[in-house]
Amino acid sequence: MSMIGFWDVYKRSETGPFIKEQDFDRQVGTVAGQLAQKHEIRFDPEQVIPADDGLADRMYKAALELFLELGIYCRDTSRLIKFSREEVQWALKHAPTSVTYGQGPDTRIMRQRKIEDSLPPFCLNTPVGCTVAEERFVAMVQSYAQEPLSDTFSSAFSQTVGGRPIKSGTPQEVEAAIWNVVKLREAARAAGRPLIGIHNLISNAEKTDATLAAIQEEFGAHPNDGLGVAAIAEMKADYERMKKVVFLDHKGYNRYGLYGPIMGGYAGGPEATAIVHVAHHFLGLLAFGAQWHDGFPLHLMQGCNSTRDLLWLISVTGQALARNTHLLIGVSPFTAAGPCTEMVIHEIAAIVLAATVSGLHLNLVAVARNKLPERSSGMEARIGSETAHLIAKQGITRKKANEIVKKILGEYESKIPEAPKGKRFDECYDLKTVRPTQEYLDVYDRCKEKLTGFGLEYKE
Amino acid sequence: MELFKPIVEATVAGDEERCVALAQEVLDKGVDPLQAIEQGYTKGMAIVGDKFSRMEYYLPELIRCADAMKAAMDVLKPHLGKGQDGGVQGTVVIGTIQGDLHDLGKNIVKTMLQAAAFTVHDLGCDVQVRSFIDKAEEQDVDVIAASAILTTTMAYMPDLVNLLSDMNLRDRFKVMVGGAPVTPEYADEAGADGYGENAAEAVETAKRLVQSRRGGA
Repeated sequence: MSMIGFWDVYKRSETGPFIKEQDFDRQVGTVAGQLAQKHEIRFDPEQVIPADDGLADRMYKAALELFLELGIYCRDTSRLIKFSREEVQWALKHAPTSVTYGQGPDTRIMRQRKIEDSLPPFCLNTPVGCTVAEERFVAMVQSYAQEPLSDTFSSAFSQTVGGRPIKSGTPQEVEAAIWNVVKLREAARAAGRPLIGIHNLISNAEKTDATLAAIQEEFGAHPNDGLGVAAIAEMKADYERMKKVVFLDHKGYNRYGLYGPIMGGYAGGPEATAIVHVAHHFLGLLAFGAQWHDGFPLHLMQGCNSTRDLLWLISVTGQALARNTHLLIGVSPFTAAGPCTEMVIHEIAAIVLAATVSGLHLNLVAVARNKLPERSSGMEARIGSETAHLIAKQGITRKKANEIVKKILGEYESKIPEAPKGKRFDECYDLKTVRPTQEYLDVYDRCKEKLTGFGLEYKE
Repeated sequence: MELFKPIVEATVAGDEERCVALAQEVLDKGVDPLQAIEQGYTKGMAIVGDKFSRMEYYLPELIRCADAMKAAMDVLKPHLGKGQDGGVQGTVVIGTIQGDLHDLGKNIVKTMLQAAAFTVHDLGCDVQVRSFIDKAEEQDVDVIAASAILTTTMAYMPDLVNLLSDMNLRDRFKVMVGGAPVTPEYADEAGADGYGENAAEAVETAKRLVQSRRGGA
């Protein structure tokens, strides 16, 4: 067995079998559907958080088979990058067992979590690129960085920089990317945590030249900060993102793989999409050299992952990887409802519950379907982190979690299509003190009482 | 007509072999191909579209059914009468806008438009604003449809509308936009004529825009 490195992957992207993109897209659905049947993987709406190790293991097997059969589609060359079973196993065996973010008092180490682990999830807290007015950017991201349970933080998306909108591929994109790093570090200082890790330094640039121009010490990037490298669609990679891999290899910043399979899209239903999602972790490990892996599986029609089938997908994919690998894995909760609503708290609690008992870390949190400007605040990260910590400390089992999550679903499931958009950041926080309003704290308190009744013990 | 019901069923089942065989039977029995398309295949695809909107079907099923219909169209279209276009609802040029490589939403809208009997010219991803317009002129389309999944690429949507104006073509084409970060408010700000929150809504918007362009409403 020999090591497989980035340049081997690159070579294969130039020499692998040719296939039309449309045909590859169809193959993803066909193969994933066949493997779901072969391995008897079925979504049971009553087992939202399954306590079925056999199911998790079959899921893992199916994903590995899918990855070996399909490989990775390279968008730039229309060629498949394929791997042998031995190469995948080698990469898994040598995958990182920890990642360190931040410095000094804000040093945080992400380690592997197992199913029903009492180790709390690592909380990478962020507005996930929520659009915000330029003058409120620092306050919004500060609201995440200052949360005591934020192990790292990351960025919103400023509508303008210097009063100019940001357009991909323009000089303004480079300017905006540099501004983003400067302002993130400014927010860290304002939060009283100047050395906190920034897990994704750039989230407002699509082009890699802008990203690389901005990741400099003088702008505020620290050695233990990092960058996400995304698969552009189901089982696909492209050179624009792979350029980041080369840069990261040389510079040593942290990196994570980012995968957002769409349930109802190319793969098909929840079972097939789950298989593809697990396979994405092999993609990230082998093509990007990802140290850890963040998924944001989404519902095609609802643009969130708080639906029953997506909760199942999050749980079963987490379990599959936690049981069969030592990969560091996480998920980004996406809610339908917006800030300062009971529904957003219930959605966060449900996703965090499914993730925490299934071995996952958390990238908290995209709300209001990550679509509506100004609708995101550090309170959602607080709610998610506190809930995750108490679930881990309480030692909630998958079986108990399943009973609780069904009760929580009862509170919001039918409202997802018409979810309330919630309040704007400047309505949720006092912008001078960057503290949440009493109204939001009261909504959270009311929900904590209800959730305590369901079995999540929020008491001190 | 006794053939139409099995055509609808075969289309909904995504059974390409059966769809083609039934198209041949339409010709063999001297049935009007246009009627077979409108009352059989298109009707079947409307059911498929509804199922997809309710998530009873997922994208692989939608594609399979659309492929089955297309195979039948290939058999029937050469036999349409002079001046018959197979019930074409309108013509659309579609693409994911400049700088954006995400095509899932665009592909779904394309498939749904084709299923609803639109002629669709797909320019793919990362389509320069100017390329949308060139294709629209070349094909004399009714609607230019642009998709974006990123906030930084969505910013090209106003450029598309502005360039149409600067080229004195704004009145000639309708513009519709959509994609993850795009809201109805943003579509208005960008100067678009229509917006689709999802694929089903995009099809309805396209129908409305075609009607409006052709002076129907």
